[in-house]
Amino acid sequence: MARFVDLAVSAVLLAGLYATMAYGLGLIYGVLRVVNLAHGGVIMAGAYLGWVLHGWVGLDPYASIPIVVAATFLLGVAMYRVLVRHLPRGAAGGPASLLLLFGVWLVLRNAAYLLFTGNDQVIRTSYSTHAIPLLGSWVSVNRLAVLAIAVVTPALLQLLLRRTYLGRAIRAVAQNADSCTLVGIDVQRIYTITFGIGTALAGLAGLLSATLFSFNPGFGASELLKSFVVVVLGGLGSVLGTGLAALILAVVEVFAILVMPSYLTAAVGFVMLVLVLVLRPGGLFGQRVLG
Amino acid sequence: MTTADPLLATRAISKSFGGLKAVDGVDLELREGEILGVIGPNGAGKTTLFSLIAGSIPPTSGEVLMRGFRVSRRPAHKLVRAGVVRTHQIVRPFPNLTVAENVAVGAIHGMWRATGTPRERAAEVLEFVGLADRALDLPGTLTLAGRKRLELARALATVPLVLMLDEVIAGLNPAEAMRLAALIRRIRDERGVAVIMIEHVMPAVMSLSDRVAVLDHGKKIAEGTPAEVVGNPLVVEAYLGKGHGEARP
Amino acid sequence: MTRWPAIFPPRAAIPFALVVVALALLPVLVGVTPYERNLFTLTFLMISGALAWNWMGGYLGQVSFGHAALFGLGGFVAARLMLHANPTPAPIAWFLGGVAAGIFSLGAHPMLRLRGPYFSIATIGVGEASRLLFTYWEEFTGGASGLSLPIDIGMKALLYWWALGLMALVVVASFLIRRSTLGLQLLAIKADVDAAADVGVNATFYQDLVMVLSGAVVGLTGGLYASFFAFIEPSDMFGFDRSIAFVLMSVIGGVGTILGPVLGAIVFVLLRQFLLASYPQLYLGLYGLLLILIILFEPLGLTGLGLRVARAVRRRRAGARRVVASP
Repeated sequence: MARFVDLAVSAVLLAGLYATMAYGLGLIYGVLRVVNLAHGGVIMAGAYLGWVLHGWVGLDPYASIPIVVAATFLLGVAMYRVLVRHLPRGAAGGPASLLLLFGVWLVLRNAAYLLFTGNDQVIRTSYSTHAIPLLGSWVSVNRLAVLAIAVVTPALLQLLLRRTYLGRAIRAVAQNADSCTLVGIDVQRIYTITFGIGTALAGLAGLLSATLFSFNPGFGASELLKSFVVVVLGGLGSVLGTGLAALILAVVEVFAILVMPSYLTAAVGFVMLVLVLVLRPGGLFGQRVLG
Repeated sequence: MTTADPLLATRAISKSFGGLKAVDGVDLELREGEILGVIGPNGAGKTTLFSLIAGSIPPTSGEVLMRGFRVSRRPAHKLVRAGVVRTHQIVRPFPNLTVAENVAVGAIHGMWRATGTPRERAAEVLEFVGLADRALDLPGTLTLAGRKRLELARALATVPLVLMLDEVIAGLNPAEAMRLAALIRRIRDERGVAVIMIEHVMPAVMSLSDRVAVLDHGKKIAEGTPAEVVGNPLVVEAYLGKGHGEARP
Repeated sequence: MTRWPAIFPPRAAIPFALVVVALALLPVLVGVTPYERNLFTLTFLMISGALAWNWMGGYLGQVSFGHAALFGLGGFVAARLMLHANPTPAPIAWFLGGVAAGIFSLGAHPMLRLRGPYFSIATIGVGEASRLLFTYWEEFTGGASGLSLPIDIGMKALLYWWALGLMALVVVASFLIRRSTLGLQLLAIKADVDAAADVGVNATFYQDLVMVLSGAVVGLTGGLYASFFAFIEPSDMFGFDRSIAFVLMSVIGGVGTILGPVLGAIVFVLLRQFLLASYPQLYLGLYGLLLILIILFEPLGLTGLGLRVARAVRRRRAGARRVVASP
């Protein structure tokens, strides 16, 4: 029973992380209709940035959140303005945008290799090993912090999207970019900002990951895929859907340990991805994502 | 199957999307050598009906029959082999292929009913629609009228028995429209192809069609010769709203 | 009457045949060092794999980031057959490796229904899942330590011609596909799968067909590769870097063309040799940059660049001729 609670708590906390990761990917796809294949690379960049700040300046990872978020936001803005902007929009740009962003991912990977070597790293703070009792099991402080942030982030995101002018402009552009130019919305600016927010969320997720798991320059591939599972399963634009999908993924992954050897559990995410895409491309709530 | 069976027919064909009934129990018949016009206000379900007949989407209920044989629920490419082909409301040429290659793709599948290589027959069709001089150009360099002709040519290259045209005249200036209308008549007269056409451009539909069917909210509300349909109060009401049914134009 | 482009350019066939014959005779007449021979062999193999990937990625437009799964499967099936108590002769083992990969590709049927990015991402999933699965399936792949094949010097030398033969076949097949009605329909599917179906193209069948052909050839390549290196391990054969290599070779060379994957493979092998020696960490980033530049400026990669140069030269020459001709 204790084991069950252990796993369940693990799943909830992991779900929080996955949801945060997925928001960034989903936002960019929902608004620009571009799959950010560099998503994994930005997550990795966020992890390394937090690690560097912690290692050199001694900055606590949670305190470095604003810096990492700002930095990855700017990275996204740069990526859009310098590169993505030049691609044709929509289906025509499909394979091109995939390959372009894939190229960016390769560059990020290589940069990390050169700067930090390929060794595994992790952010270890004085309280990394602290845990508090919860529901008869011990839960690490880090995981709780990640969960807290993972709950606050979408709330803030929702606020942004629903209550601010910027948010409404973003939603309008997502629905019909051409009409937006007619009413005076600077669509390119919205695209730039949205891309930046998307990468900022990825960077944040990377930072949070770094406090929980080890990472290296190749980090990010499975995160990309899991984010994709959550986005497709949860449907676009649905915070509830994303949260639910993240929970499902996390639960399946965590409880898979009960039925298969630990090294295979990493494959669970990938298998789920293929299954979700093939069986339920419309997501939990049947939104059209195919074609 | 008897000789009395129409070339193409739908029986109580319906399509629902979620709770919305886009096409509701439509019975339609197309006879050999006929040009059937399909009109109706926007959202009446005309394009959906086309998609059902051509096999692009499966019906929720009802049948599509060709000379008495059931062809419903067959995928689109099989229906092309059976002799039914459609064009699209918004033209969809293959942008990466030349005009000639576009038509050749259709011609490949006309092999079932004709002789000659795909390239030869594509050339013939291009000559027929008047695009022969643009054979090596890309569709992007054509005007809208040119692209509509290309779409038509590509469909015609499949050597169809039934050609379904979705708003092929809309968006053209009067001169181009007249030329295209003449072409459609030639297709029926010279190549023996029966035509179903969805159209909003009333003069074209009324002058080309032998019979007209009127759809509104997914149902067929009237059918007959152009003259009969124009005078039908239900039709006027569908287009102009209630209260106009009484006034005769 | 309108002019038509030639269906099969006989002008390409003769130079190509000459090149193949020249390459075949090279070791015999001129003599090559083992190092050079190996480089050629590897290049032939990579060209075959890249061309086969291109059938999916370039002709059909379905970009696969998971072809390593097929490469690795073919390689390990072939290796296992050759290591068996009753060893299968290498060519048959390679062939069966290809068959295995082809059958595995049939399983991709539901994935082929996915459009654009969804297909590509699904292939990343399949590729990575395969890697994990096969890495830990020790009885089959030997786990992290991989499989060692008995080193046969004679075979390694012969591989030069086997690989050359495979490459020649794949090039010819690529031409035949491209220039046939099959190729035309593939391009139509790539442009607009629904509109293609609406004029009679059986998209589902062709997607499956090309997937199986592509997978089988890549699997075949994997088998020869296993014999070539005499040692294979799952993290390399099934690795993401391996999948990436297929994408890079075709895109950098010129996706959708025939010259493209050939050029791309040559550049890839040479660059990798050079960089791996001096700057092992740089090659990924370099490829990333190349990819970005190509997508932004010359979508047809090196082939496109070459075409542009050829056109510019032709224009300059025509201009010069005109100047000379006028009195």
